[in-house]
This record gives sequence, structure tokens and C-alpha cells, in this order.
Amino acid sequence: MTVTSTTGTENTGDQGGVVIRHVTKTFDTERGEKVTALHDINLTIANHDFICVVGQSGCGKTTLLSMLAGFEKPTEGELLINGRRIERPDAKRGVVFQKPQLYPWLNVRRNVEFGMKVQGVDRARRERIAGEYLEMVGLSDAADRRPYELSGGMQQRAQIARVLAADPDLILMDEPFGALDALTRENLQVELRRIWQEKRKTVFFITHSVDEAIFLGTRVIVMTAHPGTVKMDVPVTVPRDPDHPEDIDAVRNTPQFIALEHEISGAIHH
Amino acid sequence: MTAAIGIERAKTWTRPVTRRVAPGPNQGPEVIRRRIPVNRLQALISLVGFVAVWWAVTATKLINPLYLPSPGAVWNAFIKANTCNPIAAGSTRIVCGVQQYFLWQHLLMSLERIGVGLGFAIVAGVLVGFLLSSVAWLSRVVMPYINFVRALPPLGYIGLLIVWFGIGDTTKIWLLFLAAFPPIVLATIDGIKGVSKDRINSALSLGSSRLQLLSLVVLPSALPSVLNGIRLAVGFAWTTVVAAELNNGIPGIGALAYLSGTEMNTPLTIACIIVIGIAALVLDGILQLVIHALTPWVGKE
Repeated sequence: MTVTSTTGTENTGDQGGVVIRHVTKTFDTERGEKVTALHDINLTIANHDFICVVGQSGCGKTTLLSMLAGFEKPTEGELLINGRRIERPDAKRGVVFQKPQLYPWLNVRRNVEFGMKVQGVDRARRERIAGEYLEMVGLSDAADRRPYELSGGMQQRAQIARVLAADPDLILMDEPFGALDALTRENLQVELRRIWQEKRKTVFFITHSVDEAIFLGTRVIVMTAHPGTVKMDVPVTVPRDPDHPEDIDAVRNTPQFIALEHEISGAIHH
Repeated sequence: MTAAIGIERAKTWTRPVTRRVAPGPNQGPEVIRRRIPVNRLQALISLVGFVAVWWAVTATKLINPLYLPSPGAVWNAFIKANTCNPIAAGSTRIVCGVQQYFLWQHLLMSLERIGVGLGFAIVAGVLVGFLLSSVAWLSRVVMPYINFVRALPPLGYIGLLIVWFGIGDTTKIWLLFLAAFPPIVLATIDGIKGVSKDRINSALSLGSSRLQLLSLVVLPSALPSVLNGIRLAVGFAWTTVVAAELNNGIPGIGALAYLSGTEMNTPLTIACIIVIGIAALVLDGILQLVIHALTPWVGKE
């Protein structure tokens, strides 16, 4: 199935992408102490990459995501996307929050249309595109319901559809499946990977689960805390059956997957 | 454990429920069965009992009916105040209602005053609350005064309002406005400040401008709090209007309650008190329905 781009301009070629250069972020605590959340982070993310970031709580991964989104500014250094400095949030970088931020006064369809509405896309086009994304995440039948009438997994699907429908270049996901039960989580992982294959958006995905990171990512970044730094940066080279690339059990049972899981887990726990 | 079951009962009276309660430390599994809405029945029994005791006390004639008239006398006063009757038995002069108005007209007038005062308070309160929550320095300058007015009992400054605006309806509407305005301002500020950072960020990341953020996300998010503030304000306004009508309040249900008392027409006074109370409860019930219809998501997220 095809989904029409809302802007009509396709991001061509692999030049650009995200560049994180010497980024340091410090916070002042209530007691007036300085805490370094991130120290001298340097990363480049190519377009169409699926980056998974793992690390224990407090390693600054959410802070990094907030700066990529433009919610926060670095204390030192700079973050660039396609050569432009990230200063404030905008529709080019979509954010999928752990707790779905759907608006309860709108039904699911209007929630998915929200990004297009504020960007001035006309109604007919909005409805068509929202319909396509709702179908993509399997929510066509729930389109007229309110978010609070959906299960947690369905809410997260709706949020992902809403972010995709706003047509960002980079999708930032902060432990989006962390609060879901194991089965729902696995289903959504498979769907997310399929959607990513289809749309080829760049994804920056935070997770606690090494397993999830390897299954989803093209590259896994391990961060450690106090201060937050990048400890490990590995490409994911796990063989996938070309006919069933989303067969999660087949992928998981390859020796490469298991070896990489051991390596990353070791890096997280020192 | 028994207290917990009591709460459980109170919550589930609306429909017959068969519920298995988890075994407590000292008891086995217990099945609670219910076929009657217990709470509603209790309320009804309480009301019937109250009127019966009232009737019994007055029937003994131990209390002078001037102090406590019988339920029947109060009912008659209520009917008489809503109909046209001869001025005295056998007289051909007909008088309609009391103080030249039917009782329902007195009530309607009081409600109208509330409507006008509250209408101004809602418009001004939401606008001011919105402004104060977005302009920090303005909030620091203005908030102390709003809190000051809020702390005053409205009847404390009614004298000043009479000097400024006379004894007519303008004063009463100002009084109601001043009673209803502060809670609405505070609720609006609370509602706007309570919008989560993630929700605001989600709207910005979807491409919202500042103006779109405010109108499409912040205001609807604040709506439940604003509506609660309005409900609170209606309560204040109702207690205030009844008192405000002590001066030149006819027509007005508060004025009628007061005047009938001064004229020793105790049955009518009690009838007015009951009408005032029921009107307040009905008003609040309607508001709750409206609030639920406008913000059906509250409590479900």
C-alpha cells in the first residue's frame, strides 16, 4: 500500500542526516548543584537509519531526544539536521512519547489529522491521508472512537499514525512500547519495523530492552550514566529472511543476534 | 475491611451487582448481592422520616406555629404564593402571589441576576486567567488583588457597591460578578498551568504555531478545570444573591424569604428556604450534566 507524502517533497540522497557535535548538557538542581546529564556527545545519524539507544536510567538518553526534538537546548555544542541547527520543535521531527499524547477532546481520526490541520493541509487531503495511516496501523475501525476508549497498545498505534501523518524527516521515540504488555509490544515492534521499511524515515528510538533494540535497529548505541556518554556504537548485522524480515522469533534465534545481545548487555552493565 | 466493603457498596448502588470480594486477613471469600439501589432508598426513607418527625412535632402543638409551622401550612403557603387568591376569606379583591409577584417569578428573577453576573464573570474570568497565566509579571502585579477580593465576604463590601451603583440591580450584578470572578480566574490559571509539558511539546512537534497551541490544545486541556471553577462560582453566586437581595431585592427569592420572616409569615419563609435549597441542588445537577457532556474524558484517562 502506498501513502502519499503530505509535503510532496521527498528527501533525496543520503547527504545530511543528523549531526550531534560536542553536545554537553548540564542542569542546575534545586540545591544549586550542577549535574552533567550529557558529556561531549558526538554522533552522526544517516538518513533512513533506525538508531536504537539503550542504557540505564539517568544516562541522559531522554535528554538527548529532547534536544533532537528541540524541546531543550544544549549547554555546549550543537545539533544539526540536514545542515540546519535544531533550535525549536517543528513538524520535521516527530515525537512518539512513552505515554501517548493524544487529545481526548478529538476522536482518533481527528488526532491523526492534527499535524496536517495545523500545517494547513486541506480537509479532503487530510481525511484521505489520515485514513491511509489509520489503516496502516490497523485502527480503521476505531477511527471514530475517543482515545480514552482505546487500549494502551491502540493508543500507541494512534500516536504513531499521528506522527507519521505529519510527515516528519526524523521520528523520535521515547520508550514507546515500555508500558505495554509483552504480546502487544511484540506486535507493535513487528509493525513498526514494517512501517519503517515502507516509509524509510530516520528513527531515533530509546528503549530499555536490548532485545527490542537489536530487533528494530540498524544500529545500537549504548549510553552510560554520570555523566551520560556514548559507550558503544554498533551496527546491527543480524541476518533476516528476505521473505519474512519481521519474523521476530527467527531473527532472535540467530547466533549473531544472541552474540550481539551478550555484547550489548555486557556494555550496559560494565 | 468492613469499611472498605462499605465504600464498595456505596459505589455500586446503581445496578444490581454480584461481586466477589478478595478474602481479607480474617475472613473467607464473600459474595455481596444487591437488588435495590440502597443509597436512593436511604435518601427517600430519610426524607419521609424527616417530614414525619416535623409533622409529629407540630401536631402535638407543643411549639407555637409561629416558630415552626406544620408541613401542611408550608405547602399551603407555597401554593398560595404561586396562585391568585382573594385577599381574605369572602373578599372579592384578588391578590396574585406575594409582593406583587408569584413565587416562581421571584425565583426566576434571582436566577436571572445570577445568570447575568455569572456570564460577565465567566467571560472576564477566563480572559483574565488566560492572560495572567501567560504573562508572568502581570500575574505578580494583579494576583494579590484577586486573592484579596476572593478573601472578602461579598456582603462585606456591598455597602460600598450601594454607594457607587445605588440600590438597584446594578449593585447586585456587580456583587455576583465579584463573588464569581476570582474562582473562575484561579481555575483557569490552574487549568492552563496544569497542561503537561509533553502535551504542549507534542503539539509543537506536529507543527502547531503558538496561537494554534493555545487555541487547539491549551484551552481544551484547561476546560475541565475552568468548568469546575464555574461550578464553584455558581455556588458562591447563589449564596451571595440570596443575601444581596436583603436590600431592595423584590422580586427575588432571597428578598421574599427575608421579608416574609420580618412579617412573621413563617410558612412562606420556610417554603422559600426549601425552594432556595432545591433550586441550588437542581442548578448544580444541571451543571454537572453540562460538564460531563462537554468534557466526557474527565476521569477516564
